[in-house]
Amino acid sequence: MSEVPLIQIQNLSKSYGSKLVLKNLSLDIYPGQVIGYIGPNGAGKSTTVKILTGLIPDFEGEVLVDGISMQHDPQEIKKRIGYVPENAELYDVLTPMEYLDFVGKLYDMPEDQLHTRAGKLLTAFGLGNNKDDRMDTFSKGMKQKVLLISGIIHNPQIIILDEPLSGLDANAVIMIKELIMRLSQEGKTIFYCSHMMDVVEKVSDRILLINKGEIIADGTFESLKQSHADTLERVFAKLTGRNESDSETDAIINAFD
Amino acid sequence: MDKLLLRLVSLLMPALQKTGVDTKQLYEILKVKLLMDGRRPHAMFAGRRKASTANGKASNPIMVSLVTVLMGIFLGVVLFLFKMPLVAQTVYFSMFMVLMALTLITDFTSVLLDVRDQYILLPRPVNDRTLALSRILHISIYVFRLAFLQGLAGIIIIGFTDGLLAVPLFVLQIIQATFLSILLVNVVYLVMMKLVSPQKFKDIISYIQIAFSVLIFGAYYLLPRLIDMSVLAKIDILHYTVSYFLPPVWIAAINEVLIHPPRATLLTSIAAIIGVTIPLAGLWLVASVLAPGFNKQLAIAATSDGNVNKPIAPGSVKKPKFNLIGRLANLVASDPVENAGFRITWKLAARIREFKIKVYPALVYVPIYFLYTTLSGKGNLDQRMYKIQHYPAYIILIYLSTFTISAILQNISFTEKYKPAWVYYALPITTPGKILSGMYKAIATLYYLPYCLVIGAVSIAIWGPQVINDLILAFFIGLTYGILMALFMVKGLPFSKPVLVKQSGGRIATSLVITGFVGIVGFGHYYLSKWETVIWILVPVSIALYCLMLYYYKRQTWENIELEEF
Repeated sequence: MSEVPLIQIQNLSKSYGSKLVLKNLSLDIYPGQVIGYIGPNGAGKSTTVKILTGLIPDFEGEVLVDGISMQHDPQEIKKRIGYVPENAELYDVLTPMEYLDFVGKLYDMPEDQLHTRAGKLLTAFGLGNNKDDRMDTFSKGMKQKVLLISGIIHNPQIIILDEPLSGLDANAVIMIKELIMRLSQEGKTIFYCSHMMDVVEKVSDRILLINKGEIIADGTFESLKQSHADTLERVFAKLTGRNESDSETDAIINAFD
Repeated sequence: MDKLLLRLVSLLMPALQKTGVDTKQLYEILKVKLLMDGRRPHAMFAGRRKASTANGKASNPIMVSLVTVLMGIFLGVVLFLFKMPLVAQTVYFSMFMVLMALTLITDFTSVLLDVRDQYILLPRPVNDRTLALSRILHISIYVFRLAFLQGLAGIIIIGFTDGLLAVPLFVLQIIQATFLSILLVNVVYLVMMKLVSPQKFKDIISYIQIAFSVLIFGAYYLLPRLIDMSVLAKIDILHYTVSYFLPPVWIAAINEVLIHPPRATLLTSIAAIIGVTIPLAGLWLVASVLAPGFNKQLAIAATSDGNVNKPIAPGSVKKPKFNLIGRLANLVASDPVENAGFRITWKLAARIREFKIKVYPALVYVPIYFLYTTLSGKGNLDQRMYKIQHYPAYIILIYLSTFTISAILQNISFTEKYKPAWVYYALPITTPGKILSGMYKAIATLYYLPYCLVIGAVSIAIWGPQVINDLILAFFIGLTYGILMALFMVKGLPFSKPVLVKQSGGRIATSLVITGFVGIVGFGHYYLSKWETVIWILVPVSIALYCLMLYYYKRQTWENIELEEF
């Protein structure tokens, strides 16, 4: 693993009004790492991702990607990043080919390369027969696949996946998990956000747990296991303050009385 | 046409490249945006495009263009109408700009406020300038297509009235007027974005749409009755110097100064100069100041909403407010299932935008139509008023208001987001008729009853308290009519069917038969209204009939309901 971090985040803070969402976050990510980024709802996960992808331009602190400052040259950073957003947002009146053509050209890809690659990727994801159908008829899983392709079509160094498995069937999930490993072997850095602890546990070689705007755990699954609990689910529950007792479920069961 | 416009834009590309815009990206964004516009149904004529939505297709772009051209012809007529050319043009451009601004706001807002852009375009290496410019050019292409279609008739007409030389100038005037409209719309947007969230903004826009269709309907029926055209033709709004502050005057002045130099005054000359410069300055303002700010606002609006989950302090449960409609629901629909039907209908009807856009204008049509029929008599206003008071027109009015029930019923089971209705089918509901009767009661209590109360109050004010018995009778006959309509016409639970389901011809015939039947009852009522006691006797009869109908309506089973596939 290389000594120079690919992503450097220093003292990153972000607030909405008076609410501090990120509190002095500092983080170094090295090339080829698969980062599992987990945390409860509202912990600041999405905000971190949105800052990293350039969706939120104003923040305090410093974000450097490949030595480039986010405040300075966000466009240069965006070229290196592939982003698969959580809410399957795409222009669904277009066909997958039209959409990928559009996205690829925004990355300044030459047309023939773009079209062959898009065609190959669509076929590989099992959408070869649907590549000229409008996406408004697509199922959630099919849209998610197109979204995934649009995130990797320009062969980026860094891939940021926000809940990429939603709507996918079991086979597709297996494929994506394998894909993540393969991509990391190819030297890609992957930033994986999810609520599915079992997947995060398996794919990531470094896990970051964020709670209330602060990173409260950082390490391999093995090291987290040793210092906290035996499954990631338990680690999560313990560190984010869900008490061990059954009081919540008690309350639910008692509600029927 | 899109390709042509796109090519026109391409001509500008080399110049733009120097300003830091990525022209390749710009071209791609524009291409995709225009492609998507072509595939998207237009919202402007939402109320009137039932036929086109019925077969599930987006409204035909050519049809939309045709409607715009037609509007343009109506506008163009104004150019003939007025004796003074400057006034004619002023009025023309006022209407032109208002129509354009409204079309922009209603039809184009969903495109502009497309928050998907935040996720699709922002993570890509597209710089702000390119993004802002793509937005501006997208609007411009849309706008100029609209301006051309809308102004077409005017361009031809001006050729006849002012000579060929005025034609190119008129094109220029249209462009200037368009620039001003854009400025206007932009300012409206920015103010709105500052004040409200995009979601709220969309709501406000749907109200603007409703108001707009009412306005057109009202203007069409009432304006000719209220205003004497010959007087209007001689009117000189420019008599007042204040009116020179109105933007359309500046635009009109350009024609006045250049085509009719002898008529030009110092004032019109200044106005003309302003008319040339201000729109250009406005465009610059939009491009350099307003648009970037707008983008920022949009970005903030789109990215911040996920993070506002306020922690709720334990124990601070809100005190339930006195809830009139809730009480009413419990009063008229006491059965739990019926109550659920009542409440869901009431809540959804008040919140589903497309429903409101289709139904609310219908609520206003009746009074407008009534005014139209009563005002269309001979004589001056006092004479007409006297005449109205001496024949029972209120009966017509109250029977006309059954139109509101049928307008609501026609739309009540349809929505674009019909999927959540799975809950009706998944839950163990043995008598869906209860939901339907709850739905019907909601419509009757929350729309029809208040409506009739207002009409009743007005009627009592005009005709005196002796009309009360007629009002009650007509109210219940209206309710019975509504149930008949619901029984034969509404084959779905509230908001449970996609809009594209077609109404079969047989149903329209049934509807006509029912309406005809009520019409006959109405005429019967009209002739019987002389005998007050007869009416009083008929009131309980009608109430009994209504209860009987409701009883049967409530007993509808799943066989009577057309199921949707999910």
